Formats: sequence, C-alpha cells, structure tokens
Amino acid sequence: MAGISRARAEWLGLRIFPHEPALRQWLSRRTLGEIEIDDVVQETYAILAALDSVDHIRNPRTYMFEVAKSVVLQTLRRSRIITLEVLSEATDGLQTPSDDPDPEQVAADRQELGRLAEMVAALPTRCREVFILRKIHGLSQREVAQRLDLSQSTVEKHIAKALGLLIEQVGRGGNRRVEASIDRDPDQIAPRRRPIGKRR
Amino acid sequence: MTQTRSLQGAARSESAADIDAAAQAWAARSDRGPLSPQDEVALREWLEADPRRAGAYARALAADVYLSRAAALGAGFDPRKLSTRPAMGRRRVITAGGGLLAASLVASAGLGLSSWRSRIVTPKGDVRRVSLPEGSAVTLNTATAVRPDLGDQLRRVDLIRGEALFDVAKDHRRPFIVFAGGVRVRAVGTSFSVRVKEDREVEVQVREGVVEVWRRSDASPVRLTAGGVALAPRQGPISHDHRPIESVERAMAWREGRIDLAGMSLAEAAAEFRRYSDRAIVTDDETVARMTVAGVYSISDPEGFARAAALSLGLEAVVTPSEIELRRSELS
Repeated sequence: MAGISRARAEWLGLRIFPHEPALRQWLSRRTLGEIEIDDVVQETYAILAALDSVDHIRNPRTYMFEVAKSVVLQTLRRSRIITLEVLSEATDGLQTPSDDPDPEQVAADRQELGRLAEMVAALPTRCREVFILRKIHGLSQREVAQRLDLSQSTVEKHIAKALGLLIEQVGRGGNRRVEASIDRDPDQIAPRRRPIGKRR
Repeated sequence: MTQTRSLQGAARSESAADIDAAAQAWAARSDRGPLSPQDEVALREWLEADPRRAGAYARALAADVYLSRAAALGAGFDPRKLSTRPAMGRRRVITAGGGLLAASLVASAGLGLSSWRSRIVTPKGDVRRVSLPEGSAVTLNTATAVRPDLGDQLRRVDLIRGEALFDVAKDHRRPFIVFAGGVRVRAVGTSFSVRVKEDREVEVQVREGVVEVWRRSDASPVRLTAGGVALAPRQGPISHDHRPIESVERAMAWREGRIDLAGMSLAEAAAEFRRYSDRAIVTDDETVARMTVAGVYSISDPEGFARAAALSLGLEAVVTPSEIELRRSELS
C-alpha cells in the first residue's frame, strides 16, 4: 500500500475516524477566517498518516484535535489577510476538549452499529449488494464479481461509491443525506458533487 | 465551495470533493487486493502531485477499515427488513447474526428531512447528542424527548419533556425556535439550553449569542445574552436574571456526564441525582437534608457522591440496591 501501512490505516480507521464528526463540530464552532474545515481535516489525516510512530499516543482523539489545532494556527499565520479578531479567537478559543470519555460519544458508540446498518440499507440497490457481500459476508472483490456476474472493475467502482456515500455520512456525524437511491451504472456517473452543507 | 485557497500556499484547482472522490477510488482499488506494480507507481504519482491528497487517501483507507465493522452485522443482515421509510416509525429491531440489535433513534440521521418529524428520546441516565441535517446539534439530557421539524421557513423543535442544549447553525432566513410547553425560545446562531421541569416550569440558559423567550400572549419577548437565564413558571410572567458565564457552564456539566453541586443543599443534590438514576439518595433527618455540598460528580454514580458526602459531612451512608440512606453517624 503506497505511502500508508496497513497498521496505520487500521489505527486511523478505528482510533481516529470515529472522532471526525466531533472534530468537525468543534472546528465549526470556531472562527476560522476563510479556512475550509474540509482542508483542515484532510491535512490532519495527512499529518497523522505521516507520523513515524503512533505508539506513544495515549489518547488518539485528543491528539487528533491538537494536530487540527496546529494546522489551523499555522494556516492563519501563513495567511496574508487576517484580522486580529480571528487570530485572537483562534488562539484563545482553540481549547482542546478534555480527555475524559465523553458520554455523548459513549452513547454514540452504542448506536454506531445500528446507524451503520441503516446507512448500508439506504445505499443504492446494486451498490448495497456489492457492499454487503464484500464487507459483511467477507467475499473478495473477485468473488463478488463472480457471484453477481459483474466485471471486477464495476465491483471496484461500486465499492468506491459506497465508500464515498458512507464516509460522507459517518465522517460528518450523519448529518448529510444519502442521495436518492437510484441504481445507476457507476461507469456513467459523473464525479459526485458534495452535498450542500452549512459552509456556503 | 468558497473562494479556493490553499493550506500549502500553492495554487489549487482541484476541490476537496474531487480529491476525496479520487482517494476513494484508490481505496477501493486497494480493497481489491495488493496493487499491481503499475498501480503502485500511479498511486505514488497521484499522491505526490498535491500534498492534500495524502490526507484524503489516508482518510479513505481509514473509512474502509472502519466500515469493515459492518461485518459485525452478521451474514443474516437483511436490509429489506430495515425499511428506511419514515412511515415505519423509528423503533426498529434488526435481526443480526442471530442476535438482536436495537436500531438507534439517531440511526436515521442521514436519511432525509422528512424523517426528522419523529421524536428523539433519551432514557433516564442517558445523554445523547444528535446532529440535525441543517447543521445544528441537540444534546439531550436524561429522560428527554424532542421532536424536530425542519421546514424551509422555520426550524421548529418541540421539547416535549426534559432538558436539551441547542447548538444552532446560523441561518437568518430560517429562524430556529424551541417550543417548550407554552414558551417559545428563538435563536439565531447560538448555544442555549431549555428545560421543562417536573412542575412544568420552563428554564432557559444561554451560553453564547442572543436568545428571545416569550409566550404567545406576550407583547414583547425577553431578550437574553450569554449568561442570561429565564424562568417561565406555569402561570405568571417570565422572569430573567444574569449569571456569570461560568455558572451557566457549570449548570451544563451534564453534557460531560458530570453534575456540579456547588452550593446546593443535600436535598437539592439528591433531587438532581434522581433525574439520572432510579436509585434515590434519602434521609429522614432535616438537618442532614439542609447541609450544603460542593464538588463535581459523575451523574451515573449517586453512590459515589453519597459516600463522598458522608465522608466530608461526618455522616453514615447505608447502601441498599434500591436506595442510599444518609444519616448522622452514631459514633459522632
């Protein structure tokens, strides 16, 4: 896997990704000038993926917030147009949340699987069949292709599409809608546009 | 997306969404099996052309791993048994690998605006945060029920019982109004809590921004700023007061699963714990009931609080499965 080891991907998937909604929520409450939250999140992942080791990180959630904070501050400093107000609020206001397990999060974890089930159920038909066989039944992409009589590249595209739809929902705390469940051949699908969020 | 600007200072033409889509395609390719040498090269080139891509790719791989948790749904998972039609109601039970899995009420968060007309509830002792599709969030305290109704003109949330904190996304075209009993609370881009007490008195506390509180019969609303607290008794005018912001924050310690008892009597503290647990803290002794307590405790641990209070006040805590009795120690 170019760039990122399997172990690091697992760490990111299990220890970091579940906290992304909280991070976005936290960032959305700060004055960030013109910085896009999406960019901060992307850069945060880039930094976490590039760390030599993550063994020393006791609390991945706090660590992720700290990295995001440093990304924001660094970007603000680099930015040419910046009001004092924004800088002072960013500096004073970016208190990272405490390390205590957050009961909101605990409640969320308990519901996670049920939520995932509903999100999977809401995928477009073909995409859902592929996802279920691959991720729930554990078939390889090749086996899924044989089972459903699809080409391997079509299966791959369905997986990419499912990933895109689900990442959008899980990563943003489930406040995005799944687009209409129209089953289309992914080959004919134009690059998916981002659903409209409150950033506009 | 707004005017594009770079975190790296380089010119950029590709949007974060474009990068995400490409990163997801690469993650799906890796999901297929080990990359071919050609793919390895192509991926490396793609990654190196823009520093943001490494982050998007890492995130897509992370999501792929995370989604493997879906395996826990078991081979018996049948999405057809999991209708997403709002008409079906929100309480569902999914058969998953022989076991039963309660689908959460929050589960349908991503399934469309129409389904948001349903109730969201917490049982006693639970605290739950729910994102609304338009960007606001509601944190429900113990034994609470809300019903959001997000329309084009108005974002309405009925607080049916209990207490909730509202973090409201700014949208000047669609006011956000909480209906609690006969009381209305209106906000534009702010953070405030509303509680319907047992006696139907409604309490509003503001953390950030400006909030207006009124009843339908009122000529003009009460306007609260950060630190503002309004009390609307079942009958009579709405009163309001201003507290230090720290005091309002303390009153919202329940969001972190804590309860701040600064200055409460033991009786008041016992009543507060009773909101979160069926296990009551009781005393037959008026003197004990009036003793004041302080400190921050876990809402889920009335026994821990009772023992700590007993220790500091020289009392004895008699613990049974149903209640915890505090009495003056016979030794003292």
